[in-house]
Amino acid sequence: MVTGTVGAVLQVLLIAVGSPLLVGVMRQVRARLEGRAGAGIAQPWRDLRKLLRKQAISPHGTGWVFRLAPLLLAGTALVAAAVVPLVTTASPLDGVADLFAVTALLALGSVALALGALDTGTAFGGMGASREMTVLALVEPTILVSVFALSIRVGSTSLGSIVTATARDPLSVISPVSALAAVALAIVTIAETGRIPVDNPSTHLELTMIHEAMVLEYAGPDLALIEWASAMRLSVLLGLLASLFFPLGIAGADAGVLGLAAAVIAIVVKVALLGVLLAAGEVFMAKLRLFRVPELLAGSFLLALLAVAASFFLA
Amino acid sequence: MTDALYVQALYLACGAFLLTGVLVLWRRELSAIVRLFTLQGVALTALVVVLGLWQGELELVLVGAGVGALRAGLLPYLMRRALVAGGAGRETQPLVNVATSLLVAAVLAMLAYAVSQPLIRLSPTPATQAVPVALTVLLIGFFVLVTRKRALSHVVGFLLMDNAITAAAFLTTSGVPLVVELGISLDVLLAVLVLQVLTTRMRAAFGGTDLDELRELHD
Amino acid sequence: MNLVGTLYVTALAGCAVAALAALTAPARARLPLTGWCTAVAGAVGAAAGVAALSGGVSAGVSAGVSPGGPAGGSGPSWSAWLPDLLPLAGVRLAIDPLGGVFVAVTGLVTVCAAIYGIGYCAHGLDGRLFQAVLPLFVAALLLVPAAASVSTFLLTWELMAVTSLLLVLAEHRRRAEVGRAGLWYAVMTHLGLVAILAGLVAFAAGAAGESFAELRAAELPPGAATVVFLATAAGFASKAGIVPLHVWLPRAHPEAPSHVSALMSAAMVNLGAYGIIRVGLDLLGGGPAWWWLLVLAAGALSALYGILQAAVTSDLKRLLGYSTTENLGLVLVGVGAAGFFAVSDLPVPAALALAAALLHVVNHAAFKTVLFLSAGSVLHATGTRDLDALGGLRTRLPYTTAVFAVGALCASALPPGNAFVSEWLLLQSLIHALPGAGVAGAVTMPLAVGVIALSAGLAVATFVKAFGVGFLARPRSAEAEAARESPPPMLAAMTFAAVGCVVLALAPTLVVPALGRAVGVVFPGRDVVSGELTLRLAGVSGMISPLLIAAALVIAVVAVLGLVRLTAARRARRAARLWDCGAGPMSARMEYTATSFAEPLQRVFDDVLAPESDVDVTPMKESAYLVERVRFQARVPDRIEHRLYDPLIAAAAAVGNRARALATGSVHRYLGYGFWALTGALLVLVALW
Repeated sequence: MVTGTVGAVLQVLLIAVGSPLLVGVMRQVRARLEGRAGAGIAQPWRDLRKLLRKQAISPHGTGWVFRLAPLLLAGTALVAAAVVPLVTTASPLDGVADLFAVTALLALGSVALALGALDTGTAFGGMGASREMTVLALVEPTILVSVFALSIRVGSTSLGSIVTATARDPLSVISPVSALAAVALAIVTIAETGRIPVDNPSTHLELTMIHEAMVLEYAGPDLALIEWASAMRLSVLLGLLASLFFPLGIAGADAGVLGLAAAVIAIVVKVALLGVLLAAGEVFMAKLRLFRVPELLAGSFLLALLAVAASFFLA
Repeated sequence: MTDALYVQALYLACGAFLLTGVLVLWRRELSAIVRLFTLQGVALTALVVVLGLWQGELELVLVGAGVGALRAGLLPYLMRRALVAGGAGRETQPLVNVATSLLVAAVLAMLAYAVSQPLIRLSPTPATQAVPVALTVLLIGFFVLVTRKRALSHVVGFLLMDNAITAAAFLTTSGVPLVVELGISLDVLLAVLVLQVLTTRMRAAFGGTDLDELRELHD
Repeated sequence: MNLVGTLYVTALAGCAVAALAALTAPARARLPLTGWCTAVAGAVGAAAGVAALSGGVSAGVSAGVSPGGPAGGSGPSWSAWLPDLLPLAGVRLAIDPLGGVFVAVTGLVTVCAAIYGIGYCAHGLDGRLFQAVLPLFVAALLLVPAAASVSTFLLTWELMAVTSLLLVLAEHRRRAEVGRAGLWYAVMTHLGLVAILAGLVAFAAGAAGESFAELRAAELPPGAATVVFLATAAGFASKAGIVPLHVWLPRAHPEAPSHVSALMSAAMVNLGAYGIIRVGLDLLGGGPAWWWLLVLAAGALSALYGILQAAVTSDLKRLLGYSTTENLGLVLVGVGAAGFFAVSDLPVPAALALAAALLHVVNHAAFKTVLFLSAGSVLHATGTRDLDALGGLRTRLPYTTAVFAVGALCASALPPGNAFVSEWLLLQSLIHALPGAGVAGAVTMPLAVGVIALSAGLAVATFVKAFGVGFLARPRSAEAEAARESPPPMLAAMTFAAVGCVVLALAPTLVVPALGRAVGVVFPGRDVVSGELTLRLAGVSGMISPLLIAAALVIAVVAVLGLVRLTAARRARRAARLWDCGAGPMSARMEYTATSFAEPLQRVFDDVLAPESDVDVTPMKESAYLVERVRFQARVPDRIEHRLYDPLIAAAAAVGNRARALATGSVHRYLGYGFWALTGALLVLVALW
């Protein structure tokens, strides 16, 4: 119990402090691969500090929804960070929310941001919200069906028990079920976090953007909150992928101080690796046309469904 | 080779076999489709070799090598030549759009699973458990054949079916006799050659490989 | 008479008093008097339902002979036989926990709708007839789940249909569409009634009698049972708005007065699901697996089709109507899964699936009441239901906006909303069935999970659209600009319903065990869940705590707020101009509308929805190259209606036209038809017997 609580607090702190650094690492990797010097790993934190010092701005005609959206986005990301097994599988919140609830919580964050965007009444806000909701709706089946695939082996959708079972038998990951589910969830992660090829995080061109169109009216501390929350969502989802399919080093219920320390290092390394991989992949890919995205998501749904099917014909 | 390792290797090969089949449906670039077909040949080879090693039959391993040489070597080579020879490099307008065909593939996989249950019940070994994979690829190949417009995609669809039939044969009976396998392989090779000739002639006659234009011959 | 009986009879009496008051009271006192009487009747009815659910011991004291003992472990909490009330069969009533759920839901919805009506009906709906029919409708809704014989059931069912039809037609003088909607509704509901009538009468003919206890004991041959099931299921599905029998629903719900829509959508359509559970699972006692796979497939199809149509429509109440189709579809997925698992010998998931279906009935009733009542408030304030003309209501109708936000959150199946809990429960039941459900289960369950997920995702998009476009940003029309908040009774009723939603969302642990008792009527002897703070599934692993999730969310948000306050520059917020692409000032015409919001989805599901668009270019007289006017029209017709019903209607019309030749206007000829028909029938009798 104590280990679990300490671990949960640790992983929330880790995500809160480390996620902007992850974004920094990814930008740095991209910059280097594209032949630029890059701004350094700590640049996102410097940006956040700068934004926090600025005056908060409420555009004309916006109201409580606009103000509440960044808070809710960050809140959902923090709760997800506390529940998902990153450092420890014995989080005291494990029984509170399972894998379904975590994905639904992250969706709640997206919904809050979309409503905040709609509240501005600009065409950009509406456009971003509309596209974000379309992607969200199409992503949902993949998530739930892959959760289904992962839960069959364990007989439960509880994150703690899925990860514990995999940690106990690491070789079980090398199976079609896990591989297919991993690919499906990876595609979903890319779509949910708005990375290439679904959305381009570094564009500000109205015709191509989803996430950036929604946050166009935010400035100062509000924008800082949104940037921070997006980074946290990215790291939570990458961490979730790492824990589900490669839970090496994660601390169980009876781990000591050393175990926790090792788990922290392990998750940092794993998430950083995944981030580097994602960033490197982005260099070589172009963004898909918006109406090609459903194809990608239909494909990921097929993979998830095949994962479920494989779990009963190849098991 | 231990039991668990054998099963894991076999299923991984099956998974790769299935995945490449599905990806053929997904991609539009003809060159990517040919590459996927090559990978599927490799997966099929791995599958046969694993089966051969497990049963300790050198003959099976050799057949596997032959299958690999044909399906991961010769056929893709021929197709790549056809591809280089000309024409549009993309499957631009399939009859059923890509997203829908992926969903159809999902349903086909379920159908294959349901249909192959009685077969599996006959002799429930790890190898027969994987028969639905082969059946799924068979159905997907047929679907590609029905819905794609480029001649080359048709060839790939046809070859997917053939790969699937071979895989099913090896999975259920640990292989058809060598002679039969050779015969089939020659047939396939012949078919591909004929199709290649056809493609070339078509390009000469119509300037493209859109099979719908064959309809004009009717009038 | 025990507690349940006393409460129930009081509730019915309350409805009667309300109807009488509506007919006799002077115009000024009519609305409050009827409204409050109906509300009290609803509250008492709800209490009766809850009492039946909380497991009152069977103490059947009836006016006549004690009814036959029920099958299974749990008997009705109350039953009565009134042989003299109707000729021939008499009236047989019984409330068991399963019926109790529906009585309780109806009662609570009635409380909200009746109080709301006091404010809503003040302009034009305060006529005697309308006010008197509403309590009768409520009485019918309370009677259907308590009916315990075929004749009583059919009679109350028809009473429900007729009274609801009268209520739908209330505003027929104001809009022409009301009449058309009423026609569709009348035809569909009566076709449904015919199907149910045929099915139940055939059932009673094969059994020893017509009381439900006798039906339960009857052993029908499989063929007959299948006919009975299919006929009744079709009838009940049409009441529940299940695709392809849903066509009346998106017409009647928008055209009815809003509190009537709430009653219909939150209480009446539930009875379709009730009918399927009662007849299929309880009276027929299961059946072959394909019945239930059929129910599941129909439910899945409705869930997807309903929410897709809801996602692309821009009429607020039509959207809510289609969402009803979706949610009842999800309920039927649960019911179908429960039946299928029961046949496949998986008692734990079966009980879980049925409990999920019942919980979704309750949750849907709660949030749909909220949504229809607040949509009515919008309609009351602006006079339009068109989302493309709304917007900016956040500052003008703050209460309505807040209440609608609660409803929309609940409807989109996100935590901390209540639909999330029931969909979670449904998913758990599907997942835990897998190892034992055989090939059919292994093929069906993943697809069902996919369908539920897609419908949940689309529901999110739909309600973001409804709330974001309808209430936020700035007004898109003069009507929305001039909106005023609704009168206090309406606000009170909406608030009450919203509180109900919140309670259901945070404390499902209070409700689900009670529903477990209702499940026990069909699958006796099982607990479904346990736990006070955490919903813990019994028999399989799985738990969740909506209350703690909400608490954690609140803590996290407060912590983030504190963090920002602590670290950010302490300067007052500054108001600034929006980014208007430099072409400002931004006008309402530059906003995204509901139609534009739904456009990507419409394009993605192009093949399913088959939208129609029409461009009409009028060139100038001088030159064809100069354009005077371009008219663009796009609409998404209900494709099933288009493909399935239009040919049927056309065929019927053609037959009617053909038959015109028979009617020449000669009275002799008409009488002659009758004469020949009579003698012909007699001849046939003579020849055959």
